[in-house]
Amino acid sequence: MKIHTSLLDSKKKKISLKKAKNFIYSKSNGAESIFVGRVRNNNKGKKVKAVTYAAHKRLVMKSFTKICNEAKKKFDKKAKIFLEHATNYVPVGGISIIIAVGSGHRDEAYKISRYILEKVKHRSPIWKKEHYIDGKKEWIPGHSLRQKRK
Amino acid sequence: MKIQLKLYGSSELLSGKGVLSFNLPKNSKIKNLRSSLMNLIVKKKLKNNLGSLPELAAFSNMKDEIVSDNYRLKNKELLSIIPPIAGG
Repeated sequence: MKIHTSLLDSKKKKISLKKAKNFIYSKSNGAESIFVGRVRNNNKGKKVKAVTYAAHKRLVMKSFTKICNEAKKKFDKKAKIFLEHATNYVPVGGISIIIAVGSGHRDEAYKISRYILEKVKHRSPIWKKEHYIDGKKEWIPGHSLRQKRK
Repeated sequence: MKIQLKLYGSSELLSGKGVLSFNLPKNSKIKNLRSSLMNLIVKKKLKNNLGSLPELAAFSNMKDEIVSDNYRLKNKELLSIIPPIAGG
């Protein structure tokens, strides 16, 4: 199996860097690229203490599989890809997403990682609600999936 | 006819139950649902938070397909609203 994708409920399980590294390891790979997305403590001047991630699970899993297969087809058919995204409440410093790629060469590993991240942001139905230090909360505006009108 | 809409993301502000019911005329399409959604947002005085939602949201059916504005709704159909996404 060369692709692993998952949505992890952060209340039950944490995203594991070790698991990602183990999954992509192969003696035939000369490059590993590991992207870790974390919740940062500020956004547009507001002090953030956590983010709640919500997801349409079936649509997200469908999109993850499709995106990873596209990336392999486009850059390296033999690549190993590990993609996990957190759902629920993630405090500042917590991991929101890991994209780990094992590939023959560095160029493909970097490209696959970047491709997956950009496509997840534009195609996977995941939403985030920021929790601020002052107690306020706000859903963050994002990218519309509405089909363009012809 | 009756349509149920499962809420995600910012649309959850519309109901604490996670699902909304709409009574729409027979043969309604997604664009009719957008109008009803805007009426509800105005009625609930949520235009400041959700004023752009009817315009920007996508909708998916039970087959997990994003449907177009010309998609004809079926009686008792359950759809999901997909507000603009912000993962990663």
